Order: sequence, then C-alpha cells, then structure tokens
Amino acid sequence: MTTRRDLFKFAGGSAMGLLLTPAPWRLITDTALWSENWPGIPRPARGEIRAKFTHCGLCAAGCAVRARCVGEQPVSLAGVEGGLCPFGVTGHHLPYHPERLRHGNRPEAAAAVARAIANSAPDRRVAVLDLQPGRTASWTCRRALAALKNGVYLAPEEPACAVNLAPAGTVLSLGAPLLDGWGSPDRVFRARSGFRLIQAEAVESRTAALADQWLAVQPGSESVLGRAVAGTVGLRQAAEATGLAEAQIAEVARSLRENGPALIVAPEMTSEVLAWNLALGAWGKTVLPRREAPLPREWSKAAPVTPLAAVEVGSLGALLIDESVPGAPLPWAAIQPKLAADAVVVAFSWSRAGYARHATHVLPAAVYPEALGDLPPALVAPSVGSAAEFRLTVPLVAAPDGMTDPAEFLSAVAGLDAKDALRQRAAAIHAAARGSLRTYADGKTSAVKDLKFDDFWKALNAGGSWMGEVENSGKSPHLAPAAPIPDAGDPWPLRLSTTQPGAPALVSPLMTKLWQESGLRLGPHRAALNPRAGFEEGARAVLETPYGRCEIQAALDGSVPPGVVLVAYTPEIADIRGADGCARLVRI
Amino acid sequence: MNKRYGMSIDIDKCTGCGACMVACAVENNVPALPGANDRRGITWMRVYRVDNGEEYPDRRSAFVPMLCQQCGVETPCAHVCPQQAVDVDPATGIVGQMPERCLGCRYCMAACPYHARYFNWWDPQWPAGMEKTLNPDVAPRMRGVVEKCNFCHGRYHRAKERAAAAGEKDIRPGEYIPACVEACPAGAIRFGDLNDPSSEVAAARHEAGSFRLLEKLGTDPKIYYHSTRDWVRQIAFAPKPGGKENLHG
Repeated sequence: MTTRRDLFKFAGGSAMGLLLTPAPWRLITDTALWSENWPGIPRPARGEIRAKFTHCGLCAAGCAVRARCVGEQPVSLAGVEGGLCPFGVTGHHLPYHPERLRHGNRPEAAAAVARAIANSAPDRRVAVLDLQPGRTASWTCRRALAALKNGVYLAPEEPACAVNLAPAGTVLSLGAPLLDGWGSPDRVFRARSGFRLIQAEAVESRTAALADQWLAVQPGSESVLGRAVAGTVGLRQAAEATGLAEAQIAEVARSLRENGPALIVAPEMTSEVLAWNLALGAWGKTVLPRREAPLPREWSKAAPVTPLAAVEVGSLGALLIDESVPGAPLPWAAIQPKLAADAVVVAFSWSRAGYARHATHVLPAAVYPEALGDLPPALVAPSVGSAAEFRLTVPLVAAPDGMTDPAEFLSAVAGLDAKDALRQRAAAIHAAARGSLRTYADGKTSAVKDLKFDDFWKALNAGGSWMGEVENSGKSPHLAPAAPIPDAGDPWPLRLSTTQPGAPALVSPLMTKLWQESGLRLGPHRAALNPRAGFEEGARAVLETPYGRCEIQAALDGSVPPGVVLVAYTPEIADIRGADGCARLVRI
Repeated sequence: MNKRYGMSIDIDKCTGCGACMVACAVENNVPALPGANDRRGITWMRVYRVDNGEEYPDRRSAFVPMLCQQCGVETPCAHVCPQQAVDVDPATGIVGQMPERCLGCRYCMAACPYHARYFNWWDPQWPAGMEKTLNPDVAPRMRGVVEKCNFCHGRYHRAKERAAAAGEKDIRPGEYIPACVEACPAGAIRFGDLNDPSSEVAAARHEAGSFRLLEKLGTDPKIYYHSTRDWVRQIAFAPKPGGKENLHG
C-alpha cells in the first residue's frame, strides 16, 4: 500500500533526479536567451550600410570624417586621414543628448532685438559675439552688422599665423596642448616623428608626458621663457621667473637655433608668439601666413573685427551670442560691464550650459552634425605648406524643427538676403579657378579649373575638400607690443589651469567613461591638486578668482605642482577664469 | 593555417586621449549609465595613467591602454566558466564571450589577472533617440552577464562576409581592424595576425622594449606593449604596492 511517506520519497527523489537531467539547465539557458531579447533592451536598427563624408564641426581643426550609416542614420564616425579625438568619435550622439535645447521663442527674441535696434540711442550698439570667427556665417554676420546702425562684430583674437609642423626640427611648446587637441590630430601626429618636442609647462600634461623634454616651469611663466629664447629678456630674469637654471634656458635657445627649423607654439598664437618665431627665422618655414578662401567681391562691405576691450562700458543695447559652433569663449565677467542696463542678450546655443545662463532670450541651434556650415582657416597648415581651404560640415542627420541659424536670424533682422551665402562663397572659389578639390569617397583630386560649378558644389556637399595653391611667402603680419611680464607678488596664492580649453559645452553621454567610469580625465567640478596642497581626496572647496567662484571637489594628483589648481574646462570655469589665472581655494 | 590575432601597443605614443575607449563603446553598443563608476562601469578598453612613483617635478607619467589580453594558453576565464560561455576560437585565437550562456556567476572576473572583464549591473539604456545610433552588428547585452573585449567580433564577421563576397578564402591584412585601432589618433595601436611574419604586429613583438603584461603566468597573452622607458616596462611585473617603485594606476 502506498503511504504518505512513499509519496514524499517519490517527490523528493524526482526533484533530485531532475537536477541530473539537462532540463533545469536548459530552462536557465532558455530564460537567459528570452530575457536577452526582452522589450526593455533596445534593438539596433537594420538597413543598408553606406558611408557618408563630412568635416567635424566640434573645433576649428575640422578633421575629415567618414560616417558609417544604416540607411541615413550615422552609427559610427571615423577619421578619413587618421584618428579623431574622443569628442569627434562620439559627435553623432549630440542630436540625442538629454540636455540639448529643443525649444525657444524666436518671434519674441526677434521682436526684442528689433525693438532694441529701433529705440537705440546714438551711443548704443548692437553687437554679435562670434565664438568661431572666419567662417562664411561670420562674414554674413559682419555684412549684416555693416547694414545696421551701430553694428559691432566681436570675436576672440584669431591666430596671427598658421604653423607647419612637417619641416620642423625642434618645437618649443609653451603650455600648448600640442598632442591633445591643439590642431588636427592627423596633421600633428603625421609630423610628430620629425621634430624634437620641448614642452614648457607647470603641470605634467598629456603633451608634457609624451614630449622629448619636459621643462617644469613656474606656473604662468611660460611666456617669459619664450621671450628669453627670442632674446628680449635676459637669462637671469627668465631664470628667476621660470624657476629653471640659466644654463637650461640657454640650452633650449641653442637647441632651437641649431636644430631647426624651429617653431615656438603657445595656447594662443598671438602676434607676440609670432614675433618670437620671426626672431628664430621661422617665417616661411614653420610659421606661415594664414590664408582664407576667396570671398565674393560684393561682401567687401562688412563690419570690422572689434576687440571686446575697445567697446565702451554700458554701450551694448543688444548682444547676440553665436554659440552654435564651439569656440573659445570670452569670460562673462568681461562682457557684462559692456552691456546697458536694459540690454537684450540672445544666445544661440546647444544647451543651457554656456552663455544661455546669462541671456534674456535663448534660441536652440542645430548641433553637429545637423548644421551645414564651413570651417575657419586651420591653425595647423597642411604638410605641403600654406594654402587656403574650404571644407563644409555636411549634415549627417536632419535638424529637428524649431532650430535657429544665428547668421540667418541676424540677416533677417538687418534685411540682408544671405540664404545662399555658402553657395556664393563656393562660386567665388570656383570662379578664381585655382587649387584642387579632393573627394574622399574615391580618393581623387581634381583641378578646380576642370570642374563645372554644379559638380564642384555637389562634391563639396558630399564632404569634399578644396585646397588653394600653396604659397609660403607673404608679408609678415603686424606685431603688437609685448604684454608686461606677470607680477609674481599678487595676493592670489594659486594659478588656475584648465584641461582641454574650448571643448564643446555639450558632449556625448559616452564621454563620461573617461572621468566617471575611469580616472583618465578630470570630470566637471573636479580639481586636481598636489597631494601636499593640504586637501584630502574628495574634499569639497570653493574655487575663487577675481571674476567669481564655483564649488569643486579635490582630486589629488602628483603631476600637478604645488601652487596650481587644474580643473576641467566647463562654461562655469570659462566664466571665472581670467587671463592671469589667479585663484584661491577655500575649504568648505 | 589558423590565424592568431594580436595587438601591439606603443606606450611611448599613447597620449591618453581616450578616443579608443569611446570608439570601443560606440562600436560594441556599451552604454553609459548615470550610476556607473570605475568599479561598476563597463569599459572593454580602459586607459590607465601610471607613473614612476617620484615626486614632482621628477614624476613622469605614461598611459597604458588595458583590454582583454586574449590569453592563448590555459585561458583563466575559460577554465573557470561553469557554463562554457567563454571559448578560445581556434581559427582566430580570439577569446569569445557568449552572453546567452553566461549565468552571471563572475568566476571569470575573479580569475582574470588583468581585471579586463565587466559585469552588467543594469539593463543597457540610452537617452531617448540615441538607440538609433547603435551598431547593427552587435546585440546589446542584458543585465546579469559578463562582457569583455572580443577584438570587435562584429567587424571580424563583416570582413569575413566581404572576403567571401569577393571570392576570397581569407581576410586580407588591413581589412579587419578593431575600432580602437582605427580611432587612435597617435597610431599607437597596431593589429594583425601574429602567425603572419610579414605583419607589423608580428614584427613589433620582437622589437627591443616589447613586453607582455604578467607574462610570468604563462597564459600567452596576445597583447604586446612597447616602451623604451625602463620604469614603464616594470608594469609587466605588477610590483606590489607600498614601495617607491610602485606604479600608480
């Protein structure tokens, strides 16, 4: 007779036996397979794979880009002539960034600007601040401002020259991030094996770590070394300012003169840096005139470039800030005093992170790679020498509705018809019948004089690149007088240094892998300090400068010298950082 | 003849820009999750900054890209996997990871001497709309499974398909390169068949200054590093922490 005990035994035995069969393990595998495809996990889109070409619009270097697309949708970006920087590799994510601006009230902003223009007193000015001058859109703004009463065109100082690294024998970099986004990686790294790199910088940056020689100078004294090498400052004075030995400075100067062609580069290639290069005989070899693509003749009536310092205090009745392309911003603390009390400030932005924080009206602008535009003349010239270039940032995806093009907005306000400005510029280049066009899809180079305009325009819109004729000689530009040597005895105990200046305000969410999921780069609101600076890892502090303050978290780093605070570049830091880099930290 | 794909990384050229890290994530549909950190995040390729342990200004740094070293002998992760979710492909030498088989026990993570394996703590998520940018050749992985570098297996299959369509038996050198190799702006990473004596990577392993990480374990890693600096080559032996010779990563 079957007892209750027998039933329990049977059930227990069955359960034990089942474990010895493949059934439960199969069930686990099938569950894993099923859950792998559950609806919560996105499925990549499928379709025809094709390649599109464009130029990266995330900085002025404008690297050529090959986009792998599924149908019309780019799924990865790669360099055509070499690798891209991490910002460029992830550029196709920007249209989907959660913090991207999508809405703005254009009619309200246009009415406010029109009112400011109509009601302005004779001493009131309407200004445009262009973060990336030298583009066709910049010329449109300048033409529109020339048509307006009291129009002023403001822009950061453009490089005084172009540089060619290919023939260089020795390069002295005065704190320039030469190997870390200073110019097109393709042009820099192709020439890298040919020159000896001496990096003078207080912090052991990425460039300093890879340089043939790193000179750890006193923070902020890099320019004194440049003057000493050019012979405008004595060795003793330079040694006192930089903390280097006199013999060391003399050796650098000797190396530049004997192992030429020499080149001195700095974060900003000002006319003073150009003067040092002229003293070394670099003109026409490693330092070249910066050439611009031809312009249509009718564009000659354009507002001149005005430095911000030349604008009178309280004189700006309306300020339009073109943040639709990344560029080196001017500190807000320097802009604000120039505004009238009732000034209208319109920011054309990708996100609320930049000047949009200070604007009275914010209009969303198309992000890279949605907007059609061109690039300013490159700082690092092609290896063949100085030549004008014309490269378009060809849209890879369509911009959503409601985006505003700053140049088109301003030309509408000024009554200027500038819809076809890019095409007109291309026509002027084609009419000059000089130079050649390179198409990346087939790797061919064709002389412009052999092309019909429609084919030329079509090729440019397919990611082609025009290069003018090489001409290395030219009149050297006007040299400005040298700035005074920084005073070491100021009350601010620290020097503020930033990583990756000019980085776009909006970056792909994947970029967090570089600072959140690893410690490769400094994240936003983190400050690297020497371990002997008196702060603990993770300590919170307020970073103060003469222009403002912001909160940071300390990250101890032995490559940062005492007396320096190294922070990641963010719009908040751009707001408070002065040219002298004075700062102090107050523990919270 | 079977291939034996490997890599040569010139540490003296690596600027630590991170392009390889993000290019890897783009290629392999690795998400960036808001709560992730250096322990819970997924970075198939991770670049470490190491230094010579000296104080400023004598301190010198170098950048070391770290990825699965594709161990060819006694592969530790394959040995410990109870599900046979890890295997070494005899045709390519690539150590593959099959998420469909993975139970998430993480024995392989404990066994890996290079800490080059990552666990999916969360289901993959992308900001709204960004899922359109996913690579169609790679399936996103679910939470609860381990993943790691597989030399961009999607690219390997694409190259094989292209070769087959062209009527060729083998993939031609240069037709198949992982995303990190393509992305590196400094040209610090080279890739190829170690069994092909004419390949750059096969020649690079015999260059002076070439070394492999933890070679003493005898697992035949297929990633060769190169540096002319003695203190950088010391990382191959993973010195114990505490001394001046410590290499901080």
